[in-house]
Amino acid sequence: MKRVFANAHVKRLFSAIAAMAVLELMTGPPGSALSPTAGFTGSFGEASSFFGLFRTQRWVVFLFIALVMFAIWTTWLTWGEQVRTATSKAMSVPRAATHTRPVRWGMVLVLLVVALLLPRLITDPFWQAAMVEQIAVYVLLALGLNVVVGFAGLLDLGFVAFYAIGAYTTAWVTGALPTAAPFGIHFNNFYAIPIAIALAMGAGIILGAPTLRLRGDYLAIVTLGFGEIITIFANNLYGITGGSQGTNTIPHFSLHVGPIKYLWGLTPVPYYYLTIVFVILFLIGFKLLEHSRVGRAWTAIREDEVAAESVGINPLKYKVMAFAIGASTAGFAGVVTASQSNTIFPSSFTLQFSINILVLVIFGGMGSITGVVLGAIVIQTGSMFLLHSPPAGYQPQDLYIYLGALLVVMMIFRPAGLVPSRRRHREIGLAEKGEGHMNEVLTGDTP
Amino acid sequence: MSDKIFDVDHVTLRFGGVVSLNDVTLHQERGEILAVIGPNGAGKTSLFNSLTGVYQPQEGTITFMGKDAKPMNVIGKKPHRVSAAGVARTFQASRMFSALTAFENIKIGAESHRGIGVVGAMLRGPATRRDEKLSDERTVELLDFVGLRAKANVISSSLSYGDRRRLEIARGLATGPQVLLLDEPAAGTNPSEKLELTTLIRKVRDEMGVSILLIEHDMKLVMSLAERLYVLNFGSVIAQGTPEEIRANDQVIEAYLGSTATETGDRS
Repeated sequence: MKRVFANAHVKRLFSAIAAMAVLELMTGPPGSALSPTAGFTGSFGEASSFFGLFRTQRWVVFLFIALVMFAIWTTWLTWGEQVRTATSKAMSVPRAATHTRPVRWGMVLVLLVVALLLPRLITDPFWQAAMVEQIAVYVLLALGLNVVVGFAGLLDLGFVAFYAIGAYTTAWVTGALPTAAPFGIHFNNFYAIPIAIALAMGAGIILGAPTLRLRGDYLAIVTLGFGEIITIFANNLYGITGGSQGTNTIPHFSLHVGPIKYLWGLTPVPYYYLTIVFVILFLIGFKLLEHSRVGRAWTAIREDEVAAESVGINPLKYKVMAFAIGASTAGFAGVVTASQSNTIFPSSFTLQFSINILVLVIFGGMGSITGVVLGAIVIQTGSMFLLHSPPAGYQPQDLYIYLGALLVVMMIFRPAGLVPSRRRHREIGLAEKGEGHMNEVLTGDTP
Repeated sequence: MSDKIFDVDHVTLRFGGVVSLNDVTLHQERGEILAVIGPNGAGKTSLFNSLTGVYQPQEGTITFMGKDAKPMNVIGKKPHRVSAAGVARTFQASRMFSALTAFENIKIGAESHRGIGVVGAMLRGPATRRDEKLSDERTVELLDFVGLRAKANVISSSLSYGDRRRLEIARGLATGPQVLLLDEPAAGTNPSEKLELTTLIRKVRDEMGVSILLIEHDMKLVMSLAERLYVLNFGSVIAQGTPEEIRANDQVIEAYLGSTATETGDRS
């Protein structure tokens, strides 16, 4: 038996079948106390449509999928290298074409016009709301986390904490919390922006300064804990945060400057424009940051911290900086969400949320601004689509099965993300060849 | 009194029970090409790491006379602070930022000691742009200096061994050092590259006035380059002197070739 499994083909075939069996159980009906085996028999034995062609047992369908998966897998291992070189050759042509200045600016202009006209093209209220709450805000969050994860190479699993700080600060400043607003004044939401950014940044620095001395996994664990702490605080500090009920009296954004009076109301479109303006500002800022001294220092630290120190870069300072910038972006996103929805609950600030944002960044391409924006748009639009017009039998929690499968496929075929950052792409390539210091990081061979 | 750039005074470095540097006392004159030789495991790289703030010796002092001739004790300083004071280094297995181009590698060195300015970087104001331009110019100068201008946009990991060594030297020089520490610069290079490297190292000292501290196994290179040598063995300095003196030193010959007598050779 052991001999049989030693064969790579057999191993792959069985992993494919096992993966499909798990998926079968996960998507099948649940069992109950009365009929404990119903989950099992229902998952495998129930009749199912074979891609709408003919009806058969579920296990036949999944076995077929497993075989197809095995075939693709084997083919990929055999001819993957040729395919990869061919596709990268094909991809390099459009890349070269986009490298001239007028073409680039033209593309930016077209995208800008599309972004501004979008609410006119999409009039479905569901999608208009989704564009703000689920897409634009997530693009912002992904951009912020990209600075931490993509640029500085720090794994932050508590990103939601800063988002929560931004949201609660908005509630506090506008007087929507049980605790008194600062100086007893109910400020306009616009004042919440600098305050929330400053507080989130402060929290980032306070958390970052001691913990960023840690490397890799340890940092992930500490940030994970921080995310949980903030949620638990929000839940339990009843007199300050409103406890698990949260608050639902946060006002909308409003503008009173001389004769100009404007109130952002219940319709999502004005919020869309407001958010888009900030997304563009953050986008430009981060793009410049990437190609500045700071961005290069981050790359240097990510690639070889010892060498970076030897040329005079203070790793701690730059890491804290990345952390603070990421945190303040999340804080700002919190202001937008809180103002737009008027409500905040502790239960919306979970670990799941942090991981969702991380998925956007990894899917889009760590360190690549274009990739991250595109990744956030694609994934969020996809999940909204599943929510809006779900396929038969789809449950909201099934989303994570799809997302997980997507990420697995992604890691096999495009490990550096949808639109990889050129630097990151090279790093991964070098590490795969066993060269470069990324490899040392992976194998734990430190000086 | 002589003008010492590095003064290492009775330095002892231990890792648990292992003594890596044992009561090491040595110094380097300003503008000198000094070499430290010794068999594998003698503590040469530990010495370098102590001089650059990577390791913190438990005993002794390391005094570095920096740009403003203000003495600084290196022990207890972080590596980036030591770099800012004017100590640059290369690594034994060259450590480039391998996904970046040669140009970017040097530029990171050139700009690391300027202010930080996130806000400046995000707004890209005139001061930032001027800074960038200065760094670019300095980078091009250094690329010319080490003869890598034609390879400015090559990813550093695809450069040849010899080129990587030169790039690492340029990156170190970009930080504007007083002294350059070279950890086995000739390792893995071919004879013609070795010759070029020797010329380059001498040029760094002569044209830029940067003192050189060198660890090297290649005796031919060391003897032709160094003006003075220290020999380390088992963490202790066993000899010092000019290349001629070292060549004639019995203890050195013993350390490298083994003694003909029993293992009771006096190594104090």
